Amino acid sequence: MSKQEKIFLDARELEHPVPLERAMYALRELNEENYFYMVHRKKPIPLIDLAVEQGFNTLSREDTQGTWHVLITKDPSLNLETLCNV
Amino acid sequence: MFNQNGLSLDQAPPISVVLRFFLGGALFGLLAGLLILTFGVKIFDSANFEAVILTHTFTLGVMLSFMFAALFQMLPVIAGVKLTAPTTKANLVQFPFILGVLSLLSAFYTGSSPLFATASILLGGSILGIVFVMLKNLIKLPNHSASSKGMTVALIALAVLTVLALYLTSALGGLMQGLHYTEFKTAHYSFGLFGWVALLIISISFQVIEMFYVTPSYPGFISKYLPLTLLGLLITGFVLSFIWPHAWLVVTILIALSLMAYAFLTLRRLTQRKRPITDATVWFWRVGLSLLILSMSATVDIQFMEMPKLQALNYVFFAGFALSIVFAMFYKIVPFLTWFHLNSQGYFTAPMMHEVIHPKTAMKHLYIHLTTLVTFILSVFISPLIYVAGALTILSFGWMLWQIVHAWKLYIHTQKTGEKFEMKMNTVSSEQ
Repeated sequence: MSKQEKIFLDARELEHPVPLERAMYALRELNEENYFYMVHRKKPIPLIDLAVEQGFNTLSREDTQGTWHVLITKDPSLNLETLCNV
Repeated sequence: MFNQNGLSLDQAPPISVVLRFFLGGALFGLLAGLLILTFGVKIFDSANFEAVILTHTFTLGVMLSFMFAALFQMLPVIAGVKLTAPTTKANLVQFPFILGVLSLLSAFYTGSSPLFATASILLGGSILGIVFVMLKNLIKLPNHSASSKGMTVALIALAVLTVLALYLTSALGGLMQGLHYTEFKTAHYSFGLFGWVALLIISISFQVIEMFYVTPSYPGFISKYLPLTLLGLLITGFVLSFIWPHAWLVVTILIALSLMAYAFLTLRRLTQRKRPITDATVWFWRVGLSLLILSMSATVDIQFMEMPKLQALNYVFFAGFALSIVFAMFYKIVPFLTWFHLNSQGYFTAPMMHEVIHPKTAMKHLYIHLTTLVTFILSVFISPLIYVAGALTILSFGWMLWQIVHAWKLYIHTQKTGEKFEMKMNTVSSEQ
C-alpha cells in the first residue's frame, strides 16, 4: 500500500474550465510524497498534455459509469495502476 | 479548450489568431455604433441603403469576425481538425476580409461598379478560401461529433450565401442583368441568418452548453438531425422559389418553429444545471435564446401581415440574439485562452482566469448590453432614442475592446516577466 498522500479533486459537477484551473493549482503542490487524483465526467486531455509536457507521471482510466480517473505524480517510479480505483 | 476529442497542445492555435479576429469584430462594432449615430432610424427600413450598410457592418464585420475567431479556436478543439500554419491562414483571411467589407460598405453607399467588383474579389476570395480549407479538413475526419457535423453544415451554408452574394454584387455592379435578383436576395439572407449564424451557434451549443454549464446533453435526434434539417429546408426553399412564390413563406415558418423549439430546449437545459452559479455568460445565453424566440415569433407573424414596426423590432431581436451568444462565448474563451496558453508555456505565475477578465467586469457588460437592447427596442417607437442606442453600442464594443487589449497586455507582460515552472524529467504516461 502506498504511503503517498492523495490530493483528491472530484470535478464531475464543476463547470468548465474550473476543473483544469484547480488541477493546475494542484500540480504546483505536488512533490515526491504525494500524488493528484481527479475524477471527471470527460477525459481532461489538456491537463494530461500539460502534465506530460512537464514530465509528470500520469495515468488515466475510464470506469464503467463513464467517469474518468486521472492520476498524476512527480515520482516516475510510482506505479499509478495500484492507486487507481478502476 | 473543451477536450473530449483530443486536443493536444501543439494543435491549439496561437492566442493571437483568436484575439485578432475578436479585435477586428470589436472595431467593426464601434463602426456600427458610429453608423447608427449617423443614420438614425433609417436603419429600421430595409429598403434604405443605410439599413443595408449597417446590416453588412454587423453581419460581416462584426459577426463573421467573431465567428472566424470561434472557428479557428474550436475546429481543432471540438472537431479535432488541425489547421496547419494558423497564423498565416488568419492573415490571408483577415486582411482581404477587412478591406473587402470596407469596399462593400463603400459600394453600397456610392453604387460604384469598381467597388462592388473589388469587394466581390476580396470577400469572395477570403471567405470561400478559408471555408474550403476548413471543409476539406472537416470532411476528412474519421469520427464526427454532433458539433463537428453541425459546423460542417454551417460552413456549407456560408459558402452558399457567399456565392449568392457574388451574384447580387455582380448585378448591383452592372456586371450582369440579375434576372433572379429577388430570389437570390431572399436566399442570401435566409442562408445567412438561419443557415450560417443560427446554425453555427446551434452546433457549438451542442458541445458547450453541456460542458460549460454541466447540463444534461441534448437529445440525440436534435443534435443529429437539426443542422441537416435546417440546411435541407433552406436548399428546398431556394430551389422551389423559382417555381412556387410561397416556397420561402412555408420554409421560413418551418425554420422559425424549429429554432424556437431549439431555444426553448436550451433554456430548459440551463435550468437543469447541477451547480447553478450566477454567471454573466449564462445570462448572456438566456437573453440571446429569449431574443431568438421573440425573433422567430415575429418572423412568423410578418409572413402574414405588413407590420413595419414589428419588422424593425425583429432586426433588433435577431441581432440581439446573435450578439448575446457572441458575448457569452467571448467571456468564456478569452480568459481561458490567456490563462491556458501561459500555463502551457510553463508560466505557472500566469494570472488566474478571473484576473484576466473579472466576472464583475463581464456582469457590467451584461448590464450595458441589456440597456442597449432596451434602448433599441424603445427607439422603434421613440425615434430620438436611436442616438442613445448608437452611443450605447459604442460603449458596449468599446468595453469588449478594452478586455481584449487588457488580456493581450497581461499575456505579453507575463511572457516578459513571469516565472517558468521547471520540472523536466523522463515522462511516464499510461493513457487509455
